[in-house]
Amino acid sequence: MSTETLLERINAYENRADPYPLYAELREHGVAQQNDGSYLVGTYHEIAALLHDPRISSDVRHRSTPDAARPDALPPSFIALDDPEHDRLRRLAMRPFGPPHSPGRVDALHEDIVEIARELTDGLRDRDRIDLVDDFAYPLPVTVICRLLGVPHEDMPELRGWTNTIIASLDHSPGEDPQEKQRAGTAARMAMGAYLGDLAERRRANPADDMISALVHDDGPEGRLDKPELMTTLTLLTIAGHETTVNLITNGMLTLLRHPEVLERLRREPELMPSAVEELLRYEPPVQMLPQRTPLTDIEVGGVIIPQGAPLFLMLASGNRDPLRFEDPDHFDPARRDNRHFGFGSGVHSCFGAPLARVETQVALAELLRRLDGPRLVEDPPPYRHSPILRGPRHLPIATDVRAGADA
Amino acid sequence: MQIVVDLNRCEGYAQCVFLAPKVFELHGEEALLYAPAPPAEQAERVRRAAAACPVQAILVGEQAGADAGTGAGADVR
Repeated sequence: MSTETLLERINAYENRADPYPLYAELREHGVAQQNDGSYLVGTYHEIAALLHDPRISSDVRHRSTPDAARPDALPPSFIALDDPEHDRLRRLAMRPFGPPHSPGRVDALHEDIVEIARELTDGLRDRDRIDLVDDFAYPLPVTVICRLLGVPHEDMPELRGWTNTIIASLDHSPGEDPQEKQRAGTAARMAMGAYLGDLAERRRANPADDMISALVHDDGPEGRLDKPELMTTLTLLTIAGHETTVNLITNGMLTLLRHPEVLERLRREPELMPSAVEELLRYEPPVQMLPQRTPLTDIEVGGVIIPQGAPLFLMLASGNRDPLRFEDPDHFDPARRDNRHFGFGSGVHSCFGAPLARVETQVALAELLRRLDGPRLVEDPPPYRHSPILRGPRHLPIATDVRAGADA
Repeated sequence: MQIVVDLNRCEGYAQCVFLAPKVFELHGEEALLYAPAPPAEQAERVRRAAAACPVQAILVGEQAGADAGTGAGADVR
């Protein structure tokens, strides 16, 4: 079959549950030009090289195609900028979150995350049927990111609405008006940015023990984020800070339920969990592709010239299954060695919140294994969310055995 | 527990500093400092840090002594 429509096929909802055969087809053909002028790269070593290549821009304003003209009144967040602007904004955002200035922030959250996970599994105790997404995988990271940033939990439903609209605006599906989705996405970005900007103003006046307060009171040598920068940075951290973790936890439980021998092994060897989560990030990454890179000049990849300005899609989930890099790549091995996966990307844009996602997922899966008795999938595959980029189940119905009496 | 970090491999992603901040430390933006023989209560954090290293530069030896950190074979994580 021709590879010119691979992206359309990957985007098609009927392929959401299992895009991996399409990725294999992509790797087989090498760099694939699509009939809309974009290019897909799906092999590990080529993706790795491009992720570290300064000629590849993350700023869509460098695109020669019309979709570059996003009519936002707000500046791009650092995920959509190149150095040195990216570096400055990311370093300012990192100061209250991680090393070198705040090395203990994530570690200090660990006990909170355990407690939140326990409260959520307490609520599942007497039920023989749960939806892992709505009952656990969504509320856990949302509660964590609210606590970390200092977003009032009761405002989360509104933030969820904006988040869904923004995510829907990231991909194109056949039969939908992309202009309309872009407009809705822009409006949601503005509304969410305004909400978070106002929250930051309130924290400037009345600081609390949270990351937004630390951010707005930080007087480092490079000064502070200005208001528009604060709005886009906080929007990015809020969305990225929970959306992908929901999918990582859900993909994790789905994968373990599909591999009961691994699930049992993790119950026997809990010290294997950190490495199992790394394997999960390789095997079912929540971010399947990076859709907004653009070459600043004509660039040769695997014998194909990708022209300056062409939309370039780096298919991370495909690179993670490349047999030229990973032995037996379609096998889920919780003890896999030499696992330099693209679950968090790589290079200067590698995931800002990776350590938090790791801790949340390790704690979440350990707690689920400890508390769920005889868990099994009710339907396989489960119903998926729409996005081919941020991919994961919308619901994950699980049946369990209800234990009589108190839980261990 | 003994650890060795291959500083030629280290690219400063700092995942270990987030996950075991009492054992690993960033000096400036990228230079990594670490305690080669961390106390036992840090063992779980150190294992998490080693698993998370994007360039797999951290070798962990559970037993103190000559077998710890002398090469990949000493990594019993």
